[in-house]
Amino acid sequence: MSKKILSVLLISIMLVSTLLLSGCQKGSKDAFVIPEEGFNPDETVEITFTHTMGAKLQEVLNTYIEEFNKIYPNIKITHQSAGGWGDINGQINTEITGGTQPNIAYCYPDHVAMYNIAKSVVVLDNLIASEMVIPGTNEVLGLTAAQKADFIESYYNEGLAYGDNLMYTMPLNKSTEVLYYDKTFFDANGLKVPTTWDELWDTCDKILKIDPDCYPLGYDAEDNWFITLCEQMKTGYISAENGGQYLFNNAENKAFVKELREYYQKGYFTTQELYGSYTSNLFVETTDTRCYMCVGSSGGASYQMSNNDTADGSFAFEVGVAPIPQADANNRKTISQGPSLCILQGANTTDQQILASWLFVKYLCTNIDFQAEFSMTSGYMPVIKSVTENENYAAWLAKGNGKEYLVAKCVQVGIDGRDDYFVSPAFNGSSTARTQVAALLLTCLSGEAADDAAVDQLIDDAFQNAINECEY
Amino acid sequence: MAKNVQDVMQSRDIKKISAVQTASRFLSKFATYAFLLIMALIVLFPFYWMIISSLKTLAEYRQAVPTFWPRQLMFSNYAEAFTTAHLGDLFLNTLYVGLISTVLSLVITVLSAFAFARLEFKGKEALFGALLATMMIPGELFTITNYITVNQLGWMHTFTALIVPFLVSVFYIYLLRQNFMQIPNELYLAAKVDGTSDIKYLWKVMIPLALPTLISITILKMMGAWNSYIWPKLVANDAAHQMITNGLRNAFTDTTGQANYPVQMAAVAIVSAPLFLVFLCLRKYIMSGVSRSGIKG
Amino acid sequence: MVENKQQWKAWLYLSPAIFLLLVFTVWPIINTLRMAFLNGYGNMAAIGGATFEFGIDNFLKVIEYKQFLQCLQNTAILCVATVPISTILALLIAVALNSIKPLQKTLQTIFFLPYVTNSIAIGMVFAAMFNIVGLKQGSNIADTWGIINNVIQFFGGEPINWINAGSSYVANMAVMVVYIVWNALPFKILILLGGLQSINKQYYDAAKVDGTPKGRVLTRITVPLLSPMLAYVIITGFIGGFKEYSSIIGIFGDKMGPADAAGRLNTMVGFVYDALARDRQGRASAAALILFAIILVVTLFNNKVIKKHVHY
Repeated sequence: MSKKILSVLLISIMLVSTLLLSGCQKGSKDAFVIPEEGFNPDETVEITFTHTMGAKLQEVLNTYIEEFNKIYPNIKITHQSAGGWGDINGQINTEITGGTQPNIAYCYPDHVAMYNIAKSVVVLDNLIASEMVIPGTNEVLGLTAAQKADFIESYYNEGLAYGDNLMYTMPLNKSTEVLYYDKTFFDANGLKVPTTWDELWDTCDKILKIDPDCYPLGYDAEDNWFITLCEQMKTGYISAENGGQYLFNNAENKAFVKELREYYQKGYFTTQELYGSYTSNLFVETTDTRCYMCVGSSGGASYQMSNNDTADGSFAFEVGVAPIPQADANNRKTISQGPSLCILQGANTTDQQILASWLFVKYLCTNIDFQAEFSMTSGYMPVIKSVTENENYAAWLAKGNGKEYLVAKCVQVGIDGRDDYFVSPAFNGSSTARTQVAALLLTCLSGEAADDAAVDQLIDDAFQNAINECEY
Repeated sequence: MAKNVQDVMQSRDIKKISAVQTASRFLSKFATYAFLLIMALIVLFPFYWMIISSLKTLAEYRQAVPTFWPRQLMFSNYAEAFTTAHLGDLFLNTLYVGLISTVLSLVITVLSAFAFARLEFKGKEALFGALLATMMIPGELFTITNYITVNQLGWMHTFTALIVPFLVSVFYIYLLRQNFMQIPNELYLAAKVDGTSDIKYLWKVMIPLALPTLISITILKMMGAWNSYIWPKLVANDAAHQMITNGLRNAFTDTTGQANYPVQMAAVAIVSAPLFLVFLCLRKYIMSGVSRSGIKG
Repeated sequence: MVENKQQWKAWLYLSPAIFLLLVFTVWPIINTLRMAFLNGYGNMAAIGGATFEFGIDNFLKVIEYKQFLQCLQNTAILCVATVPISTILALLIAVALNSIKPLQKTLQTIFFLPYVTNSIAIGMVFAAMFNIVGLKQGSNIADTWGIINNVIQFFGGEPINWINAGSSYVANMAVMVVYIVWNALPFKILILLGGLQSINKQYYDAAKVDGTPKGRVLTRITVPLLSPMLAYVIITGFIGGFKEYSSIIGIFGDKMGPADAAGRLNTMVGFVYDALARDRQGRASAAALILFAIILVVTLFNNKVIKKHVHY
């Protein structure tokens, strides 16, 4: 039987050599060229939109598709959810391979870097710059100067994070990391909210003296912490230039990791992986071990809400929200995350579809009412500044407080910190870097080491391992 | 008197032996039950977890220290599950795909297994070996190629795309072939002499004898339809064809887009209930076995 | 003549299966081979217009990978440990289930419940059982030790760090073995129960008359008569074991290891996935073919051994 299987194998291998043709399709990395006749609003165009919205957000989306169709009745939009964040990337990869990609997709920078390899992402520069007036309306195709200025700059610049100064994506809505703290506890003990890391460690020390059984600080995302510190101290993480470079294996980074290890050993903080569960659980805890400060996503505000299951229904404590601590007051940096929109093209995509997709993307990103409603439903932050012109939204934000309206308060803090945001660069491999720096940080924090030399060795090895995995 | 003593001793011995026998029988019964009960508990645990999770609030579900009994029974999760997702449509779609693919797949599997188990033909061993070999390549590598094939056949967003690519399972052909091999060849030869056709023989003898295995395959195939996720998402994720897992995974999210697992679990429990009833009926067939009349060793 | 008739009949019966397999299995395999022998092949890159040369670079790249041996070792350990354990347990359960009278229906029903249990629930239970939450650095205080450690402590043992940061490789592997066995049980019980029903009851009646002890009935009657099904369960178990991947994701997540040692529990298929995620289909295909070769050798060996003991 084995001989026969082998012969089958051999035949298959021979078949292969006849099939060594690799496909070569349309696609170029130049910006999309707008056809001379421009967008034709009288022609029916069908476009598809793949996202990861839940049922509630889809209701909001449907409402605004209707609104959009009042302006452009001939653009037919069908949309579908691809599941969670982990799913959409793989699905669209496959669809690009089959030439059936959607016209518009929710994306993170890592995803766009991948689609870019296939040259499937429409470069938006010409569309944004176009002053062509759309027939039958008084709207221009591109973004007006006012519209451009209305975007929160760092969000807008995320579209440029691919190392070639071309614009690939438009921001839809964003989240950031914020420092949640137990305001009731801070007030009672006369503690000041830390704004720098040094102040933070001081505060940790003080808190430990008050409650020796606690973790003063819980930090949910290890990878974000590492990346943020690199950015704040300008020590280098990764760069998208020349197809991607890994810069994080350097002495400065090792130094701050070593420092963090000392603080961890002193019991100043824990992280999600070290703790074994979301640190927000520690934060909302009132009886057992707890933490009094917690760095987490602004989008997760509802999980940081203190319980109100006390006998009289009052909240156990008031939650304060502040920007995350900084290393350098002159180089304030806070990570920004959350979906953007990209327009995809394949061999069968028509120019009219790309134009229609752009009009819809532009509509979603610049429409004040949509941005407002989306923010209120999702807890994410709008990407344009003028959104507060929406009365409902302004009223919603004004209600923001550390008890029942924590989400609104969080969004407000996020909007206030809009000048500090950065997005880490993206290329094929940047997500590996993310996983690896999280692992190396955890190894360095919790690894066993007898003396100082052993600690250095541990840290060196961890960095080296991480860089090997990235560069493989 | 001696005889009398002997009698007494004999009856004592018999009593002793039977006492030992009863004791050991009792012990072995006890051991069997203890073993089964412990294993049952272990196997049951996830099911229990699913049910209690479906009754928790999202906050309790996310707790660091999991609770073994919900502090507050959220029956409203079930109401929400019922109203949020189009459970009826999802259920019917999945049932349709599950039934059609099970029936077609059973036909193909039975015919193939019969050929491998009963018929002699050139290259049988090699072909069977090659079939087994195809099981050994991680199926994930096939996804992209099959996606392109289905797309070129124009099957996107049809039930066909959900059914046809997975009709043949070497896994089940192999299983059924093993079962068919156990049925003595003499029966087949006798049937041939009687002039019975293959199909009639299959229908009258082989299928009844292999019924427990065929029902096992049915159960596994139906569960396959129930759990399939990645492929349906790629080829037919539109409302008219959406399958249960795809519908459930995304319907219940909280405001930040994270899955609301308790409601999702409630939905799973709801759609599992009718499925479970069907299984209970099938179980009878697996367990009661088949009549053995007319077959010798 | 009978021979000839059987020939075309066999191919006729097999034709639907063969036709579908050619389209949906053989063609993708050929495509896999093609990608494996194109240096640095990536689907996205191919669409982007890149061209690739014929060569064996992909295979070299796979073997060069520092963790390649680790992946192989994990795969092998998981396979060798889980297949015998789960097969024996499933056999015992199936036989026991078949031999009892009272409670039989209830217990059978319970052993069917895994088929209607959501997979997310299955993954979560394990996290709840083994996860230690809030273990303080340098101390022995934790918020919760997990159910398994609670049991160990109840019997006076020291709690073990199973899956969290700082856990040992042996502990990780032990958890994986338990999880995989547990996951495989319902399927194997179902197959073996079905198989048991195909055994002629006369054998058991004869054994009863002879007063054969139960252990002997199991090894002398049940196992030999069940051997085709056992062979099936073992061979497919090995094939499945070599393709182990999702169960590790289920417990350790995408990082394939405890937080401080990402990738430590990676397997061959895990490697394939990682390569696919970075648009390295060529490398993924090469790794899959290497894995295929290994499984093929093991299956041929299994077949040889098993053939001697299978009675049809």
